Amino acid sequence: MSLRLALLLLLVAPLVPLSQRRIDGLVGGFRAQEDVLYFWSGEHVKRLVPGFESLAADLYWLRTVQYFGGQRLFAKGKDFELLRPLIDITTTLDPRLEIAYRYGAVFLSEPPPLGAGKPSEGVEVLERGVAALPESWRLRQDLAFFHYIFLNDAETAARVLLAAAEIPGAAFWLRTMAADLAASGGNREDSRRMWRQMFDQAEEGIIRENARLRLQILDSLDLADAIAGAVAEFERREGRRPARLTELQAAGLWRRPLVDLANVPYCYDVGTGRVFIQEASPMWRPQFSPGGNR
Amino acid sequence: MGGGLNRTRAVAANTFRESVRERVLYNLVFFAILMTLAGLLLGQLSVRQDEKILKDIGLGAMDLFGTVIAVFIGTGLVSKEIERRSLYPLLAKPLSRGEFFLGKFAGLGFTLLVNLAVMLLGLLLTLIATGRRPDAGLLTAVYPIFLGLLLTVAFAMLFSTLTTATLAVVLTVGVVLVGRFADVIRGMREVAPGVPQPIVNALFAIVPNFANFDFKSRVAYGEVVSAGVLGWVTLYAAAWTLIVLGLGLASFRARDFR
Repeated sequence: MSLRLALLLLLVAPLVPLSQRRIDGLVGGFRAQEDVLYFWSGEHVKRLVPGFESLAADLYWLRTVQYFGGQRLFAKGKDFELLRPLIDITTTLDPRLEIAYRYGAVFLSEPPPLGAGKPSEGVEVLERGVAALPESWRLRQDLAFFHYIFLNDAETAARVLLAAAEIPGAAFWLRTMAADLAASGGNREDSRRMWRQMFDQAEEGIIRENARLRLQILDSLDLADAIAGAVAEFERREGRRPARLTELQAAGLWRRPLVDLANVPYCYDVGTGRVFIQEASPMWRPQFSPGGNR
Repeated sequence: MGGGLNRTRAVAANTFRESVRERVLYNLVFFAILMTLAGLLLGQLSVRQDEKILKDIGLGAMDLFGTVIAVFIGTGLVSKEIERRSLYPLLAKPLSRGEFFLGKFAGLGFTLLVNLAVMLLGLLLTLIATGRRPDAGLLTAVYPIFLGLLLTVAFAMLFSTLTTATLAVVLTVGVVLVGRFADVIRGMREVAPGVPQPIVNALFAIVPNFANFDFKSRVAYGEVVSAGVLGWVTLYAAAWTLIVLGLGLASFRARDFR
């Protein structure tokens, strides 16, 4: 290499990190994955990679996870438009990839901004998984949980749990949970048991974190109910509702901080005496407030 | 008989040396980098699927790299000797065309075997390095890949005796692709019900079903491939390879090199 060429390379080389820094500065260091999917049909992709379907499924699964993470963290619109086709392509290429059904359903079902907020599609994905892997009791268990948690359908959830319990090797508690659901029609305690199961079954990662958050939300709702109980006690004693929740502490009816598990103060409606989670809190979910928290 | 075998072995050894000299085994370096990167990154990216994906990548790379080597080196085994005119002095020696042809096949077959063995070792080491159990079951996926590669080499050599090296590459890739789509031919009546079943059967029979050599996904999921299945796959591969090699040899013998 001539000296002149070496000098030229040395001069040009710093332009690479310099221009990258400028680009990052202008459009952001982390950018959501481009919303482009060249093939929308798993069958078409399958025909393009004969003998390498499983490997292609892995690549599509990695892309699904990255797309989900990118949309969740960096996208402005967070429409998760490609999520369902990516999951469908992945599971068409490798129908035995159980994780794609289970995690894909969570990605689809969780309400925005955590997920796509399409629980019926999440349930469809799980139904596809149950058809592809009829011996998997965990997929049926998830299907039941999703019917109950996201679609509020305790009856179907109980029926699916019973079907899961019939599968050899299934967990013993599926049958009792099905019976409880059928009897009660569903309550917060059922939800807690389901999320506890998901938490225990998941390894560290998105799903476990999500289950942990869900359990914290349920605990926050319990706390809200307990504070509402203290409000009722205050009203019984004083003949009026407290003007602020801090009056409960002054009256010795509540000793703990008046915040949820995300340390965000609870909202209080003096007109009804109800206590609920603030919309600004990470513990808040549209279906939970201010009425019938489950 | 013994002399013929020795001469065939000499050609094979020479072919192996040549392919190593042609830096065929450089793909192993790429494979090593691929496995290292996969091992480092997949744990964070794949959500609990790192072992399965590592196996998929490892086995897929063995199949893909092996096929590329089998096609490109296989088609050049005979045609290069003709182009370089190095075939003529060879055939002037006490070396039959059959010995030359089979020696070339065996030499590339051995190259592919070494290639696969090293890649398998790399995959096992990656599994161990990422805290996974080395899976002896991987052999039941690698062995059929090797059989498929031998058949690919046979086709490459057959076509290289019939036509130019470039066209031979195209034809061999075509056969491998059609062979991987053999299930489409078998299910042809689903999309074209008017096609008579005997024609479908005949078409299916004359296309080598390369899907028979694909156990990658099953093995990656930890399924056991029985010895019986492997036995029949071996027989299928042996039958096809012998037929194609026989046709190639006949064509090579019939060629006039004057």
